Amino acid sequence: MSKEKLERRVVITGYGMISPLGKNTGETFANARNGASGIDYLTAFDTRGLPCQIGGQVKNEWLKDLEDSTLDRFDKFSSRGLKLMRIATMEAARQARLDEIQERERIGVSLGSHGANPTVEDMMFVHRFYDGKGNWDMKGLLKEGGYPYLNFFRRKPDAAMFLLALLFNCKGSNLSIVSACAAGTQAVGEAGRTIRAGKSDVMIAGGCEADLDLVGFVGFVLIRALSEKYTTPQTASRPFDRKRNGFVMSEGAGAVILEELEHARSRGVPILGELRGYGDSADAFRITDTHPKGEGAILAMRAALDDASLTPDDIEYINAHGTSTQQNDLTETRAIKQVFGERAKQIPVSSNKSMLGHTIGAAGAIECILTLAGINSSVILPTINHEFRDPRCDLDYVPNEAREKEHAIAISNSFGFGGQNACLCVSRFEE
Amino acid sequence: MDDKVVITGSGLVSSLGSSASDTWEALVSGKHGINALEDFDARGFDCRAAALAQSPDPSELGIHPRDARTMDKHSHMLMKCSQDAFKNSGLDKAPVPAEDIGFFAGMGMFDCNTEDLLTAVKKSLDPQGNMDYDAFFSGAYQEIYPLWPLSMLNNISFCQVAINLDIKGENTVFSAHADSGAQAIAEAVATLIDKKASTVLAGGVSEKVSPLSLARAHLHGILNTSDTDGLAVCRPFGADRKGTVLGEGCGILSLELRSSADRRAAAYSAMITGYGSSCEIEEASYTPTSKAMSGSMSSAIAGTGLKPTDIDVIIANGDGTINSDKNETDAINAVFSECVDKIIIFSSKGALGHLLAGAPAVDVILGIYMLEHGIIPATLNCVPLDKEVKFNVVSKEPLKAHPKRIMINSFSYEGQCSSLIIEAVE
Repeated sequence: MSKEKLERRVVITGYGMISPLGKNTGETFANARNGASGIDYLTAFDTRGLPCQIGGQVKNEWLKDLEDSTLDRFDKFSSRGLKLMRIATMEAARQARLDEIQERERIGVSLGSHGANPTVEDMMFVHRFYDGKGNWDMKGLLKEGGYPYLNFFRRKPDAAMFLLALLFNCKGSNLSIVSACAAGTQAVGEAGRTIRAGKSDVMIAGGCEADLDLVGFVGFVLIRALSEKYTTPQTASRPFDRKRNGFVMSEGAGAVILEELEHARSRGVPILGELRGYGDSADAFRITDTHPKGEGAILAMRAALDDASLTPDDIEYINAHGTSTQQNDLTETRAIKQVFGERAKQIPVSSNKSMLGHTIGAAGAIECILTLAGINSSVILPTINHEFRDPRCDLDYVPNEAREKEHAIAISNSFGFGGQNACLCVSRFEE
Repeated sequence: MDDKVVITGSGLVSSLGSSASDTWEALVSGKHGINALEDFDARGFDCRAAALAQSPDPSELGIHPRDARTMDKHSHMLMKCSQDAFKNSGLDKAPVPAEDIGFFAGMGMFDCNTEDLLTAVKKSLDPQGNMDYDAFFSGAYQEIYPLWPLSMLNNISFCQVAINLDIKGENTVFSAHADSGAQAIAEAVATLIDKKASTVLAGGVSEKVSPLSLARAHLHGILNTSDTDGLAVCRPFGADRKGTVLGEGCGILSLELRSSADRRAAAYSAMITGYGSSCEIEEASYTPTSKAMSGSMSSAIAGTGLKPTDIDVIIANGDGTINSDKNETDAINAVFSECVDKIIIFSSKGALGHLLAGAPAVDVILGIYMLEHGIIPATLNCVPLDKEVKFNVVSKEPLKAHPKRIMINSFSYEGQCSSLIIEAVE
């Protein structure tokens, strides 16, 4: 296996993102380096009465360029999540000079995306044609009512992948992955495998999420996953802190361009890093809880190291899943200790979600990019809002301030609701 | 290095039965599963037929009632097929470590059941019938079952299966298009060859046919809405085809390297030897181009080191829509030009309807039966054939043949094409 791998190495030749902290990678990274928070009171819809009223929104003005420039034909297809994905992909594609590649059949798309939620207007519309006793007036709904097909289309998880393939003229292997919070990481990992296996030479990989609408948000309120106790929005997301009490929901998108090394070399495109390994696992424990000892997380981290032919001693930084829920942060800490043993306390571990909130399907891609950007600028991003020590969470979480430190190899964790775990191993590119 | 991936077990639920053998026997005897819709009042629809599967009983599958409330028919089908594949590959008796078992599935769309939200929405309406957000947030939203969001997360039923069967290895959920089941199988094969798992369950499940799924397919323009006698018919490659019909069902395969299956003394009769894919959409018709279909078939053949003449049977995508069948006809005529009069074609959609994400694995399982029994069932409703068809579509009677290699085509309405090749093990 490792022999085949040596034959086809996967490198990163472009990345792009849009997040609550910035309209591109540079801006997001600079703000994160300063320990800024992208969380605030929600303005997208009226939150009065809800126990959680905060989130990480992407500024509407950052979408304006795209909305002004695009042809109307694609605009009406695009959910907000897809618009974010397009912005992130444009940045990544520009950097990787994706346009200049001739063989479009060898370029694929792999996205973690869940499709748009039905809107309240949607529900009202649909309910008008339903009597509550099992009887539908479908003629009314489709004909006189004129229910727009595009509402269905935008809800399809593969809509984003399909339109991205069309817009960026990719005719290769296309995947659309729906693994909740692990989707972005799995999308990057599976894309890497596709290249390694020779099924494609270049992949656009990433994830997007825009769930800060009524239906998406209320869903998470109902399962009580969100932070409800906070003094200010900016301090609500506090991974590994004793007073953490739930995650903060955010929107965003991240895209990386993965490319086979020789392919990238032949184009002379700058190489920004290498995807060394990927591992995933299932908890097979309980649908609403993670395994208390983090068994699935341990399996995923070990699988990624194994895939990269590295040992725990090689890892210099861990980009944690760190959601700011009591359960995740504790089990993730336990899992890291299990995998890294005595060295666990010497490895910096930080959670970007302290600043960005949780971008669900986009998180894996965004955090992979921030990890690479950190490696390339010798900076380890902080975990902000670290005020009250949790005696059970006792690793080096890079509290509150970024750290200047040269490092070359890192892993990035994502653990999905339901018990799907994924881990990426990335490094500085070396010949 | 030359270790092949063999199929050691399978589970299948369709409108023709709750097992692979029931479905196979019904197909061979020329039955179909497409009936008038009775689960809900479909009078308002232009297409009033679908191939509905009987939902497996969650209590018989060991699903806790609390979980069953957030799982729906598609989840129960996935659970049943996974359990069946697990059992008949002997994994329950000769256990493999949980972390060495992988799981890959293609999942259809999840639509919310309108009833789940109806009370909350109705309670929030003002006298004019508009949504009163204050009423919604100050209490009406609490009418929604707290775990309802679980039913809307695409990966939850997948995770329920992992919990039920104690699967902890490599896993991914692909969605939602018709080829996602084929992608799941291809990823499973790659995972086994990379030795990242020793056994993998892989396949896909259709969406549940509901008013919303019918409306979606109708608005997409793929449904047969022209048969006016109330019962729509799917006519793969037929001259007078008018569109497809939705079907429900699920197929899951248990896959393993041949050496590993031999060590466990697990039985198998077929192996998966090839996969190809390509993507390009005809924007006017929302079907893959004939070029993409040819590309997927040719790359599967070339990637396996074969020639077109090595393929005996194609289980076609053959969905009975005007555009997709036309492009597939052109693609098969072109790719198999040197042997087009010899190549045998079957489509399951005339009998089972279009299972979308569930179709590829179901077709693979039917392919295994063809290899084992030397029989190709008839493609229902395909006569009279489209005059462009130059290949041999099995019609009327099942055909006795002795195929060695079968290609399975799965195309999505988003332009993605996948082709798998399965082969009899001597």
